[in-house]
Amino acid sequence: MGVPMQFSIILQQVVNGLSLGAVYALIAVGFALIFNVLKFSNFAHGGVLGISAYAGYIAANQFKLPLIPVILVGMVTGAILAVLVELIAFRWIRLQKGQLVYFFVTSVTMLMLLEQVLIIRFGASFESYPYTLVKVRVLQFGDVTISVTYLLSLISTIIAFSGLIYVLKKTKIGIAIRAASNDLTATSLMGINVNMVIIAAFIVSGMLGGLSGVLYGISASLSPQIGQIVVKGFIASVLGGLGSLTGVAVAAVVLGVLEVFLISTIGSGLSPVVIFLLMVVFLLVRPHGFAGVSFSDKA
Amino acid sequence: MLEIKNLHSGYNKIEVLHDINIKVPDGKIVVVIGRNGAGKSTLLNTISGLVKIKSGSIEMNGQKIPSAPHKIVASGIIQVPEGRRIFPSLTIAENLIMGGYLASNAEMNVRKEEVYNTFPILCQRENQQAGTLSGGEQQMLAMGRGMMAGPKILLLDEPSLGLAPLVFTQVFELIIKLNKERNMTIILVEQNATIALKMADYAYVLENGCVVIEGPGEELIKDARVKAAYLGAAVKTLKEPSPREYLE
Repeated sequence: MGVPMQFSIILQQVVNGLSLGAVYALIAVGFALIFNVLKFSNFAHGGVLGISAYAGYIAANQFKLPLIPVILVGMVTGAILAVLVELIAFRWIRLQKGQLVYFFVTSVTMLMLLEQVLIIRFGASFESYPYTLVKVRVLQFGDVTISVTYLLSLISTIIAFSGLIYVLKKTKIGIAIRAASNDLTATSLMGINVNMVIIAAFIVSGMLGGLSGVLYGISASLSPQIGQIVVKGFIASVLGGLGSLTGVAVAAVVLGVLEVFLISTIGSGLSPVVIFLLMVVFLLVRPHGFAGVSFSDKA
Repeated sequence: MLEIKNLHSGYNKIEVLHDINIKVPDGKIVVVIGRNGAGKSTLLNTISGLVKIKSGSIEMNGQKIPSAPHKIVASGIIQVPEGRRIFPSLTIAENLIMGGYLASNAEMNVRKEEVYNTFPILCQRENQQAGTLSGGEQQMLAMGRGMMAGPKILLLDEPSLGLAPLVFTQVFELIIKLNKERNMTIILVEQNATIALKMADYAYVLENGCVVIEGPGEELIKDARVKAAYLGAAVKTLKEPSPREYLE
């Protein structure tokens, strides 16, 4: 007996939503990591993501690398690029004790710069990863058809987050990243070189950004403006409550599912409108986001 | 021996400390008292490398100390900052790991054991988020976190701030114990002048960024100027037990 038609579509949409949400979660957590440590919204993350997506594309298209190496190329590119952005764009402002608005403006500028690099190299057209990269395209379970590229996003995200949790909870440098998110100055009083911690945070963030770029590129398509999906990461970060990475990841998945359903019901034109409205309303009700935590100072 | 020579320091264009000369012999407790804004925290933060030296020097055993905060910690000078500044979203165990960041795993385990023996409450709540601790417990954690680094010189910035009398006594007992049993050198900055001067081997009074009075702790307690300015009526009403009396 087949699953009723309606139900199978819903199930398919849920899987699509979850996998889109998973990619958003990768973007959002990479974004939130830097926000937590340096307290500014790093839109340059979108540029890192974009270049990494194209690096993976070149690896797959010109060098004919298989899937896993392509993903690794994306992650390594992301890590290197994120560190370069920190060294070139942000470190000086930090050493001069510049205001947060300088970081913000610089990060948006870096996003545009990296985007322009892609436009110069690839023009304004769309590209896509070679079809052969993922050989089996769909899995059929009765009436339910699941796209393998979507499943790939979901599984890669789960693996990446398991790794991230391990690093942040079990390694000294990971705990130091969390400590730096609490109090950068106190971290330096522990004998920890905060510059190294910040570099480590950018490496982790860049790896997540690179992974999200490649996954998004494989399951959708590439254009030089791909970096602008960092906005989705930003929304998810705000909704999740920036202090909590778990909250941010959950919010991103919810956002992904919501978006898929909205697109299938009201279309892709109206969907962003509804999402931004929901964000505004939600923030009026819960300014700290889903899981935003704040510890009050105790006298 | 830590020696501060003709030190001027401050933030950007504002000089906070003017021509400070302080000597801290090994194994002694040196106390710095003064009002809010006198420059006490700036002094400790300059030693810790958080505030830039404008001129003058800070030397340990005749050698200039490094300028980066993490290198200063590596040289054995550890600060327990004002307001404790524990890491609220980390667990207690993780806070201690951060305190012992530069230590080897073996050293870390030994010191963690010591901290837990000193403050059993921290052991019981090892896996709890530090932000959920009470103010007194947070001070214990901050002290424990400082001990994890195995300090040669411990800088304490107002450890008594906002503590209940019982915890207060416990904290000062610990300071004396660290000094007596481990021969740890201590620089203590305190608003609570009475108790601080009683423990002090030597003390400095800071006013508007300058050292205005200095001398052995017992002498300063008797000093008329100190009495008038810092040991006023507030002392009589508070009646904190002196840790030395408490220990005897």
